[in-house]
Amino acid sequence: MWKNSSLRCLLALAVLCLRSLTSSQEIGSLGDPQNLKCVTHNLHKMLCTWDVSSRGSHGQTDFCYTTNEFTPQVCFKTEERRVEIPIPENFVTVTIKSSGTAFPTKEFVIHQKDISFVPVTPHILSLMPDFPTSTLNLKWSDNGSVFPYGLDALWQIQILRKEAMEIVTQVTYYSKLTHEDIILSWNWTSDMPLECTSHYVKIRCYINATQFVGPQDWSDWSPAEVIPGKDTEPGGSGVFPLDPVVAVGSDLTFCCVHEEDQRVTNMTYGSKSYTMMQLSSRSHAIRVLNASVSNSSGTNVVCRLENGLEGSVVFVGYAPDTPQNLSCETPNFLIIKCTWKPGRPSGLYGKRRTKYSLFERTSGKNVSCEVNEVNRDHACGFPVLPDKKTYDFILGVSNPIGQAQSSLLVDITQRVHPKTPEKLTVTGNNSTSIQLRWFIDGSFAEIRLLCQIEISSSRFERKLHNVSVPGRKSSTYTAQLSALHPDTKYQFRVRCSAADHFWRWSDWSRAVEQTTSEAPPARGPDIWRERSPSGESLIVFWKPLSLSETNGKIVSHEVSCYLLETLLEHKVVFEPSNSTEIKLGKSDCVISVVARNHAGSSPPSRITSVEIPSDNVTTDQAVAMGNGINISWDSYPNMTCGYIVKWCHSSGSEPCSVDWQKFPSNTTNAVIKSALFKPGVRYNFSLYGCKSMGYQLLKNITGYMKELPPKTAPNFIVEETSSDSILVKWDDIPIEECRGFLKGYLLSFAKGEKDALKPRLSESGNPELKVNNITDLTKKSMKILDLQGKTSYQLELQAYTAGGLSPPNSLYVVTKEDSVGLIIAILIPVAVVVLLGVLASIFCYRKREWIKETFYPEIPNPENSKALQFQRNICEGNKTLKTLEMNPCTPNSVEVVETQSAAPKIEDTEMMSPAAETTVPEDGSDSEMENHVVVSYCPPIIEEEISNPPTDEPGGSSQVVYIDIQSMYQPQIKPDGEPEIDIVTTAGYKPQMQLSISALKIEGHSPVEEELDKTAGYRPQANTNTWNMGTPDSPGSAESNNENASFGSPCSINSRQFLLPPKDDEDSPKPINTGWSFTHFFQNKPND
Amino acid sequence: MCRSTVQEQTRRQVAVLNATAQELFSLYLKCQGEPFSSESDKLCNPAGIFFPAFRVNRTSERKEVMVAMYKLFAFLNASLGNITRDQEELNPMAKELLERLHNTTKTTRGLISNLTCLLCKNYNIFQVDVRYGDSSKGKSAFKKKQQGCQVLRKYVQVIGQAARVLLPHLSPS
Repeated sequence: MWKNSSLRCLLALAVLCLRSLTSSQEIGSLGDPQNLKCVTHNLHKMLCTWDVSSRGSHGQTDFCYTTNEFTPQVCFKTEERRVEIPIPENFVTVTIKSSGTAFPTKEFVIHQKDISFVPVTPHILSLMPDFPTSTLNLKWSDNGSVFPYGLDALWQIQILRKEAMEIVTQVTYYSKLTHEDIILSWNWTSDMPLECTSHYVKIRCYINATQFVGPQDWSDWSPAEVIPGKDTEPGGSGVFPLDPVVAVGSDLTFCCVHEEDQRVTNMTYGSKSYTMMQLSSRSHAIRVLNASVSNSSGTNVVCRLENGLEGSVVFVGYAPDTPQNLSCETPNFLIIKCTWKPGRPSGLYGKRRTKYSLFERTSGKNVSCEVNEVNRDHACGFPVLPDKKTYDFILGVSNPIGQAQSSLLVDITQRVHPKTPEKLTVTGNNSTSIQLRWFIDGSFAEIRLLCQIEISSSRFERKLHNVSVPGRKSSTYTAQLSALHPDTKYQFRVRCSAADHFWRWSDWSRAVEQTTSEAPPARGPDIWRERSPSGESLIVFWKPLSLSETNGKIVSHEVSCYLLETLLEHKVVFEPSNSTEIKLGKSDCVISVVARNHAGSSPPSRITSVEIPSDNVTTDQAVAMGNGINISWDSYPNMTCGYIVKWCHSSGSEPCSVDWQKFPSNTTNAVIKSALFKPGVRYNFSLYGCKSMGYQLLKNITGYMKELPPKTAPNFIVEETSSDSILVKWDDIPIEECRGFLKGYLLSFAKGEKDALKPRLSESGNPELKVNNITDLTKKSMKILDLQGKTSYQLELQAYTAGGLSPPNSLYVVTKEDSVGLIIAILIPVAVVVLLGVLASIFCYRKREWIKETFYPEIPNPENSKALQFQRNICEGNKTLKTLEMNPCTPNSVEVVETQSAAPKIEDTEMMSPAAETTVPEDGSDSEMENHVVVSYCPPIIEEEISNPPTDEPGGSSQVVYIDIQSMYQPQIKPDGEPEIDIVTTAGYKPQMQLSISALKIEGHSPVEEELDKTAGYRPQANTNTWNMGTPDSPGSAESNNENASFGSPCSINSRQFLLPPKDDEDSPKPINTGWSFTHFFQNKPND
Repeated sequence: MCRSTVQEQTRRQVAVLNATAQELFSLYLKCQGEPFSSESDKLCNPAGIFFPAFRVNRTSERKEVMVAMYKLFAFLNASLGNITRDQEELNPMAKELLERLHNTTKTTRGLISNLTCLLCKNYNIFQVDVRYGDSSKGKSAFKKKQQGCQVLRKYVQVIGQAARVLLPHLSPS
């Protein structure tokens, strides 16, 4: 905007002129004195100053002023060019007369708005550093006494740092003036330790006098107060701050103050080195951001100098967490114990640890708590105050970083947790009761105590017995326990709580042991008696009493025998016997048995020796229950005093011990259980009925606690073998090996050779396995029928119970040979062959003319030879070639077999040429093979070896030497002109096996196949269709022109015998007929 | 009166201190945090601290050795007390270190007792002038750590020498 500096200067001058005009209005002519300015610092008086020219700058000045025309002018002389006069209400007229000037008098009118208000410069009273916290405390007076009440004061405080006095911060502090001089205080915490470098503080103020119409302004800055850093002290060195305690996450600044001539090489915080910043020539600092919690010995900050090092330790932790689960209770009404959980650890230890105090709000009592930081046992005791039940606690927590608190209002009468009872003793012992005494420390006079006594022994379940007793002051308490068992060792212990307001049980006291004294046995023993086998004496048995019934150690049993009231015999049997024998002879008596211990005798148990005879005593089977044996019986109305089930335990070589169980008379079944019962062992029970006269045996019962599979398999043998049957016999299994009631036998058999590695039959999965279940246990043998002769069979025999199958017993048996069948099998085929031979001979004889006409005419004409027309017929013939059926002609020469088997079956392997072998696929899947025709080979009449014609066909490469039949008959084939015939004729001489295949498939040949066929080797020279025409004596065969009928025997084609005999033979009056001799019928191999 | 076993007991005590000194020093360094472990040579250089001179050798007179030993272990006893107190305040969670310091202090105390007995019995010496080190009270935590470290390092060096010197003098004759 402003193009040049001269314009700016002009504008500044103009502004200055305007300002001078506004501050004062000069009256009269321009000249000295001039520029009268008035400023107030306290709103009461103003200080006016003016300028004078050099001519009037020395000497006195008369200064007069008047505030209005009615008040007299106030005048005084002054040598200074400043006067202090009151602030006028509106304006003031000032007259200034300087002595010795040409214009001695000047008059000014000053209005209120022309007076400036600039507060007096504040004075810093004190600036105190707190080095550990890097805090500065600034104090100054607001000088409020000179100002009206209620003015707002603003204080601008400036913090400067380093020698260059760089401003760090500037803050504005607000206060209200109260017309009194108030000392104001302000704290500032430095982000840099105060030791690191010098810090300076300045202050100025602005008082907002709203009623004052003149301009107002800030006061001047006060002189700077300085807190010198350690770098200003001679010899001052070290790392600062020293041992600070800071909160986790704080940003920290550490400085290293050193001598002027030293150089800092590096500074580390923990193990990490930080970039240093220079504060002064003697001070360097590092800044650590987001400090993490330090270990218990603090984090070391080290400053490495060229010739030494300095260090400090910083403790970084957390402010204390709010105490959780604060709970207070009294153990004795003397002290209140408060416990809590501290929450998150502060990470500060030693003198920096978290400190706790317990403050009771209503009483104002405060208790410092000693908390073991290491053991984490956070508890604090507070004394119980007289006549005070309710306590309002505040638990205060503090550490150098912060503080927290938690409160709890508690009625201690409802928070009684007595101490552990002590000195527990037992007094007043007898067989069923005792007295317990114990002591509890505490003053429980105000409440009742509920004490719990635990009674335990090895024989009985633990019992808890509660007693409520009035509380007393540190007293002994007693309790009487009754209904104890005699001769029993008990353990007692006690714990107590408040009865009315249950809070917590005390800990259990130390346990005391006490054994109650003995008492006579509670009842007589359970007894039974048995006559000895001789019947002369009676054996009396008794069962030991249970521990709860003996009431002491049983010493002996006394057995007495009474006949009416007369004692016949008395015996004392000492422990541990549980039976005795009494010689009674044949007489009977009532037996009485009492058990004795040190305290006395039991009531007597009585039983009569009388046994009522019984007849028809049956033996039944009991049901195994797994854990016992279920015995049932019919109800016997006569048995008025119940039933007795008696059995005997036998263990090894020792005699069996008698046991019994009594049942009331309305019982008809029972599950007998005994720890001595074993699975798979047979037990014999006797059921006795009780009558008033005596006992009667009702029945015997056998049973198992649990049935198991028989231990062994039954032994069995083969008694007899035929060609179709085997007779098997077996033995009984011994009772002790049955291990259950035998239910039957399983006899399994299947074909099988003897093999040690063979699995069991039942496990072999053999589909031919047959199983016979024999449930008739009286049966000890079995005949297996419908077997095959001369065959090996595997037999297995198993017994079974309800518990399962026994292991099997195996045998291998070979059935005998069936000789009659064999003979028949030989004779029938022979007979059939003979019969066929006869029939063939008859046929040939009867048809000899026809045969001759057909096959051996007098003058053979190749043109008209029916036998040689088969080449055409084979192409026109029946497409469904069939197996050559057995007819009189077949055995003569040719056998054609149509087979469906996958693999080619060649009956005469010697007929198969090598070429044929190579063309037959191994897998036999080729469809061409499905209609495979096997051409038998007829016995040669004349053998002639002719070398193969030169040809490229595969057949030509064969090593087999073939007879060149084709070359002889070729002229006969060509005139037919049939393409199929061409194929055959151009094929040359081929192996006969291949030939027959090609002949059958020729109808469906594709050109490619045809081409293949051309190279397929030897082709049949006969029309195979004619083979289907059956016998030469069929109707068709009679017509000489019938193409089909013209064929005689195919054998003539395939044979090596020439149909047209050589010239030598033409002269012969009869055709050579040797090929049809019966001897050749069976000969199907060439003569080698 | 001294028991007949005092001599042997003294030898064993010195041997025990010698055997445990290095472990104590290592554990101390570990518990002070970095860089005490990694820069112990620099931080624990005992050059700047007072440590009683131990200028005796195997050929020194027995009495001279006993007096030197007394001065050494009296100093050590006081220093170990200071170190233990400082560590209890600074490092109360370092249970093992505190236990070792306590044990070492106890052994040192027993050793002083035995040496006192031997000096009285054998040489009629009832008073030995002992100079103790500077107290660490009032010093910064870092200075306390460093002072303990310096004393213990010197202790490790001197105890080995003491054990070697003491052996011929206290061996059963």
